[in-house]
Amino acid sequence: MRKSKRWAWWAGAAALIAITVAGSAIGATGAKTQVLRESIGAEPPSLDPGLATDTTSANIILNIMEPLVKLGPAPALKALPAAASSWSVKGKVVNLKLNPAVRWTNGQPVTSADYVWSWLRTISPELGADYAYQFYGIQGAEAYNGCDPGKANCNALKNKVGIKAVGKYGLRVTLTSPQPWFIQQLSHHSFLPVNKATVTKYGNKWTEPQNIVTDGPFKLSAWKHDASLTLVKNTKWRNASSVKLDRIQLSIITDASTALNAFKAGNIDVDSTGLNPVDVKDLKKTAFLKTYKALGTYYYGFNVKNISDVNQRRAMSFAVDRKAITKYITQLGQVPARGFTPPGIAGGPTILKNAFNPPTHQTAKAKAYMALVKNPKKDIHLYINNSPGHINIATAVQAFWKELGLNVQIKVQEWKQYLEFLGPPPNSDVDVYRLGWIYDYPDAQNGLVLWTCGSGNNNTNWCNKKYDALIAKANNTPNANARYLLYQQAEDLISGPKGDMPLMPIYWYTYTNLQHQNVKGYTINPMDQTTYSAVSIG
Amino acid sequence: MLAFIIRRIVWTIPVILLVILMTFLMMRLIKGNPFQVTDRPVPPSIQRNLDRKFHLDKPWWEQYLYYVRDVGRFDLGPSLVQRNQDVNDVIKEHFPTSIKLGLMAMGFAIVIGVPLGVFAALRHNTVLDYTAMGLANLGFAVPSFLVATLLIYFFALRLKDYTGLPTNGWNGPSSWVLPVIALGIYPMTYFARLVRGTVLETLQQDYIRTAKAKGLRWRFVVGKHVLRNSLIPVVTAAGPVLGGLITGSFIVETIFGIPGIGRYYVTAVTGRDYSVVMGITVLLSVIIIVANLVVDILYGYLDPRIRDERA
Repeated sequence: MRKSKRWAWWAGAAALIAITVAGSAIGATGAKTQVLRESIGAEPPSLDPGLATDTTSANIILNIMEPLVKLGPAPALKALPAAASSWSVKGKVVNLKLNPAVRWTNGQPVTSADYVWSWLRTISPELGADYAYQFYGIQGAEAYNGCDPGKANCNALKNKVGIKAVGKYGLRVTLTSPQPWFIQQLSHHSFLPVNKATVTKYGNKWTEPQNIVTDGPFKLSAWKHDASLTLVKNTKWRNASSVKLDRIQLSIITDASTALNAFKAGNIDVDSTGLNPVDVKDLKKTAFLKTYKALGTYYYGFNVKNISDVNQRRAMSFAVDRKAITKYITQLGQVPARGFTPPGIAGGPTILKNAFNPPTHQTAKAKAYMALVKNPKKDIHLYINNSPGHINIATAVQAFWKELGLNVQIKVQEWKQYLEFLGPPPNSDVDVYRLGWIYDYPDAQNGLVLWTCGSGNNNTNWCNKKYDALIAKANNTPNANARYLLYQQAEDLISGPKGDMPLMPIYWYTYTNLQHQNVKGYTINPMDQTTYSAVSIG
Repeated sequence: MLAFIIRRIVWTIPVILLVILMTFLMMRLIKGNPFQVTDRPVPPSIQRNLDRKFHLDKPWWEQYLYYVRDVGRFDLGPSLVQRNQDVNDVIKEHFPTSIKLGLMAMGFAIVIGVPLGVFAALRHNTVLDYTAMGLANLGFAVPSFLVATLLIYFFALRLKDYTGLPTNGWNGPSSWVLPVIALGIYPMTYFARLVRGTVLETLQQDYIRTAKAKGLRWRFVVGKHVLRNSLIPVVTAAGPVLGGLITGSFIVETIFGIPGIGRYYVTAVTGRDYSVVMGITVLLSVIIIVANLVVDILYGYLDPRIRDERA
């Protein structure tokens, strides 16, 4: 081979090798960035765990911070270690051991002192935290929260609150009574710690992206108020290698039609804004619509002072076709409810054993109950708040009750005025009203306690001491199965054949969103939480 | 003229105080608890803590005086619902967006509406006149939420490969196009109809006949005599229209997901966020008063008869 040809051959080979190596390097580093683009329906009012009360805020907070426990898969929703590596419960004393690997984004470890300071801050009367009541199960918390700093020295009460640091990573909580649900309740965002130095330095502005310090799998990197939020992967999080998403772009789109158009145009991967009822029918034919079971109940409450005969209340419940409502009106996989407690909750099937609100309308039985009523209330005022969904359901119920000879007037009110009107006690013009209950923690107690005599959620005027006694007894029953049997007796008083029926449940809720097919691992658990660290694109 | 301006500025103060008082009383009258967002009622002890924190436990007249004092210090207070934001922050962040959207919509309305009205008047009672006014009437009649939704559906979804326009947001020039059109259509049709009417009236005046008789070119007559005199009522109307546009359109902002002040305002009313409602009302009042003042000054400049009257 001539010398020049040989040189050319070697040069070509070298070039080829170089290109291959460079190409592999580029291929390795040029991996596609995983970005999730999602629409949310409202600006989060606050990303401060002590002040947030809505699910939009809660969902973001629970992804930029790490709770003590996470809830395992449904239906058990078992408490799994997260920021707490282990715990023990002895009666009303709960001891938690924190995982020392949990760090703030400024590199400092998250310690039990952080939890003590944060929880006392939320309970303090000065902060004015709506969700301070989540802590009322802790000894001394309610008293401290109720103290007026202008009139008394609240520090003495503060020192009596049953939250103590035991060493750097130990937390001891003393409850007012044994509360079997407490560990699961710790998954709620109210129990997240905040960084004391950050909050002290920046005050109200500590949640702005340039100031915020968190400890979870993602970090808040940008927040254009009322427009968008950007979360980026926290590469220093202890389990960062398991997180596939690099970035989450949350766009605030309040209009459901706009969000749907953005989804169809491919501008977002997940539409969590909500759906217009008119769009549901067509969307159900696609693979985009996802529904998930929720722990929540949509119900109509009776004003038992106005509709005083239990047989009339039973008749009204039996006349309603819950299956038709969920199939033709709500259409999003909701389940006709035979009792108040959702079946997906721990002990649900036991609790609901005797609940007898029928899924379809039983006209003959309804009329038979109605015949037993001596002085039926024929003119019914049904109060609902203003929303197309509620109006559609009320119109259907109005038709069902007409079959019983009842004249139903549907009265629609604006939300805030509606809540004032319902009291308790409700305005005397209210015969029936509509509300829903979404569970704070996955325990039947959270729902059943609503119907006790002194509950601020009991707008029915119903007060049954036997019911209250059952709930109080269950609160002090550590054995789960024994507790479920007590809850069964309580549920029987609401929804059983011999019960008082102060309310009629209509359906158990679901959560819905639209997802493009490239989104993997996105789920909503029954507590309306999404774990972004389990989501990937592609 | 200077005395006129000073007089108007001084009158602004009692007007603002009256606006604050009326808004304050109306918000209290409609009832509703700003702190209860869901079905969960706020426990009484927590309600007391919140009332104390935001001075809602004081008598109404004391709350009003606190508020007026703080307005004097340019402190519009904290938001009751957006717990980490002050009203000043809300206005600083969202008001510029509404100004930009409002000014662009105004520009669109004037640039399209005024020539359309002049053109229709000069071609009075022809097919062109009827077409122009037919379109203007259609734009006037169709509600903005329908216009907005249709614009998104056709231009941002069905034709997105050709237009490249986004469905929502306020990020850069491509996202300004559809909201500006949606917001600007109504004032555009209003100006078109108004200008057509004033031009037709001006064309009947003796001085226009005189100018034509003197042999001046028609283009010159229209440009110098007709337009100048016809636009005076337009300037008068422009003030409140501009004020209305700048203060935000709730519907357009909601549909396009634009973080403007209009959307915030309506959300604050339904959420009973008293301080945000009061703060934005004060801001809107100042804007409308300033817009009307600017219009009055311009009016005096354009119409010498007004100028002489004021002097």
